[in-house]
Amino acid sequence: MATASNVTPAGPSRESYRDRVVTALVVFSIIWSLLGMAAGVHIAAELVWPNLDFGQEWLSFGRLRSLHTNAVIFGFGVSALMGTAFYSVQRTCHVPLFAPGLAWFCCFAWQIGVLGGGISLLAGWTGGKEYAELEWPFDIAIAVVWVCFAIVFFGTIARRRIKPIYVSNWFYGALIIVIAMLHIVNSLAIPVSISKSYSLFAGAQDAIVQWWYGHNAVGFLLTGGFLGMLYYFLPKHAGRPIWSYRLSIIAFWAFTYSYIWAGPHHLHYSAIPEWVQGLGMVMSLILLAPSWATMVNGIMTVAGAWRKLRVDPALKFIVLSLAFYGLATFEGPMMSIKSVNVVSHFTDWTVGHVHSGALGWNAMITFGTFYFLVPRLMGTALYSVRLANVHFWLALAGTMLYVLAMWGAGVSQGLLWLSLDEIGELSFSFKDIMASMAPYYALRLVAGIVFLAGAALLAYNLFMTIRGRRTVPAFPPAPDAASQP
Amino acid sequence: MNAVGLHRKLEENAGLLIFGILFVSAIGGLVQVLPSVMQESLVAPDVGRAPYGPLELTGRDIYIREGCSTCHSQQVRPLLAEIKRYGPYSRAGESAYDRPFLWGSKRTGPDLHRVGGRYTDLWHRLHLLDPRSVVPNSIMPAYPWLGERPAGAAGDIQAKMRALKLLGHPYTEEQIAGAPEALAGMMEVDALVAYLQVLGVAPGGTP
Amino acid sequence: MPSILTIIRRPTEAFEALARSETDPLAVFFKQIVWLALAPPVFAFIGASAFGWRLGAAQPLYLSGDVLTQISIAYFFALLFGLVSTAFVGRWMAPTYGASDALGTHLALVGVVATPLVAGSVLHLFPHVFVNLLVLIPALIWSIYLLYKGLPIALGTGPERGMLMASSLVAYLLVGAVTLLGLTVALWASGIGPSIGV
Repeated sequence: MATASNVTPAGPSRESYRDRVVTALVVFSIIWSLLGMAAGVHIAAELVWPNLDFGQEWLSFGRLRSLHTNAVIFGFGVSALMGTAFYSVQRTCHVPLFAPGLAWFCCFAWQIGVLGGGISLLAGWTGGKEYAELEWPFDIAIAVVWVCFAIVFFGTIARRRIKPIYVSNWFYGALIIVIAMLHIVNSLAIPVSISKSYSLFAGAQDAIVQWWYGHNAVGFLLTGGFLGMLYYFLPKHAGRPIWSYRLSIIAFWAFTYSYIWAGPHHLHYSAIPEWVQGLGMVMSLILLAPSWATMVNGIMTVAGAWRKLRVDPALKFIVLSLAFYGLATFEGPMMSIKSVNVVSHFTDWTVGHVHSGALGWNAMITFGTFYFLVPRLMGTALYSVRLANVHFWLALAGTMLYVLAMWGAGVSQGLLWLSLDEIGELSFSFKDIMASMAPYYALRLVAGIVFLAGAALLAYNLFMTIRGRRTVPAFPPAPDAASQP
Repeated sequence: MNAVGLHRKLEENAGLLIFGILFVSAIGGLVQVLPSVMQESLVAPDVGRAPYGPLELTGRDIYIREGCSTCHSQQVRPLLAEIKRYGPYSRAGESAYDRPFLWGSKRTGPDLHRVGGRYTDLWHRLHLLDPRSVVPNSIMPAYPWLGERPAGAAGDIQAKMRALKLLGHPYTEEQIAGAPEALAGMMEVDALVAYLQVLGVAPGGTP
Repeated sequence: MPSILTIIRRPTEAFEALARSETDPLAVFFKQIVWLALAPPVFAFIGASAFGWRLGAAQPLYLSGDVLTQISIAYFFALLFGLVSTAFVGRWMAPTYGASDALGTHLALVGVVATPLVAGSVLHLFPHVFVNLLVLIPALIWSIYLLYKGLPIALGTGPERGMLMASSLVAYLLVGAVTLLGLTVALWASGIGPSIGV
């Protein structure tokens, strides 16, 4: 539909949209999703059967865990964001990509960086900071690719044929700018060798800087970046503009302003100053407002469009992702309240919370977007709607199982660690509590396998779709065409 | 002109939009993070606390390399049950020489900030090389390779100490010169045990 | 009211019957909802007083009769609130999705959807957290399946809009569940319930 409407009688000099780099990024993203999730399933299995590392360093939990997070966030997530940003920025600006050669460089350099980074993590090169594990050579490479990404993205915007910059681009723009700022500051370190460096910050200060980074990597990459995806693909799919433009403005600026403050809720009851903890908690609660405003805006956009809506698997995924987005953005502020955090901190509840966002929101909206995007890029129909529907149920069941297993494990841990008997002594030993987690960990493993099976179905389905392609070039519409994307 | 009209200006000018995002997102960092990074008392080491010796420092870097902090926190919270379980709560002055900090975010295994002196060196050795030989239903990975590699091979200790000296850790030239000797004959597992044994007690001396 | 057997074997039929019948909200409430909300607390009361709660760790956690009674009553009202509020939220959403806004039908739908979960709660008689999870999670997935399948039929809306509305209700239920979890934990931290050293 999108492709067809954009095809105009082309003059000889007319440039078409640069979509092949988008396809490449989507394919890489799918490969990373399989690799990253398989690593996740393996470490979940190691928590049930610890001998699954077979005495190999590189299969050891501590190393494989950072490979898992890096492969899904930077491989799967960022490739998907980069691809969809390149796709949507062309269409919202009505011009082909600026510096397409540089876009291809971004695409491949990023894949090589994540692959090399992943191997280096398995080799034990790590800065030791959560979600920023990669050592300084990779930090520099990431910064270089990121600058190129910014040049392509903002260069395209600078050449745009329609004046207003569409809202999805604000979010992609915030992703590029804020992540650059966070990454550079948090990675400041003195190198000792190619594989080792020491953080410029020490102790409590390092903690504050790290969670300013860590929380906002979640904020501007996993929340903001994917909201950019939502703001483009949801209205496109629903065939009508976003429900409230005004709400999207307020939500965007409130989101950008307040997210940055929330990091210290990862450091409650620690040695950082009390006012920093308190401010972190208050701002986390405030953050609920812009987060949910965006959710309402999304739901109302589809809710009013039912007359012309054809429900396909893509839309199902996107709408369900909004439900889990609602859960995760509510649960997060709740867990930042000190009297909840005192029980939930350090437990598997945190892991469950992360995955309600990562599986329920990030992965589902990406799957939905891919089911929408790949057939359009290929100029053909989706290979199998039925398989995609099966995937929908696997994804829903996997996420639910995961979240519930971790709620059960986390609340039990929190309660049992802290519980005192009648004479005020600890009721349970740590070993006993740890051993009692086995069933939950087994359940989580099942959840992971179910979710991964769904992702494998997607990979097969889209691979078959790509095989049956007939390439259709898409041309930017004339400047006076409708300014809605 | 209403607010939406004002916003039109912002979204029709890419430069303004970029500047706006940078400005709005930087405020939190400037008001909350920057003062903390400037606050000297947050990273002032406790009186009499020396930086890690060569062996402990090597052990700490192995702890980082193996990702121990993904499952073990080093942050005892000021809660009754936690103080009973682990010991005195953690204070800022205790991590002044920690680059990076290793407070952690998850306790799949127990907190380690007060583990120093709790178990014997031998217990730690056995536990690291084969956890289930001492804790039958432990789910911790085994680290057999730590017993096979000399501690001196885990990175150039003198370069590390010099880099840290640059960052303000008070190492003397004699200490740096004598560092390779302190590692002589030690395996990686010895270094890691040495590090674990100074956790929560004043580090500095070599064992 | 469709029987459990009909719901299991021929869900579509059960929902079609639901859509046809003119249901009085009060009748549904007293004939169905109250009992659905009552069963799990009763099972839990019997199980916990006979066997104690096993949270996984070695010793079971026994609670005194008074505390147990209070918790069971709170459980009953929480469930009742959950069921009824979901029906009201559904009715509030109905015009947006072009669905029927008869409260009775909404209540009856919520009742049918909750049936697998309530049936699974028989396991409360043996209050071991993991055994309960093992049964209640498939039951929950079944309930969600019934919600997605039954909502468009029972409320007379198209499958597209029904699917969107079901997802919105899932969001409400997820947030409700996590709120309950957070409230419970916050109560513990403030000294109500089990003794924890904070």
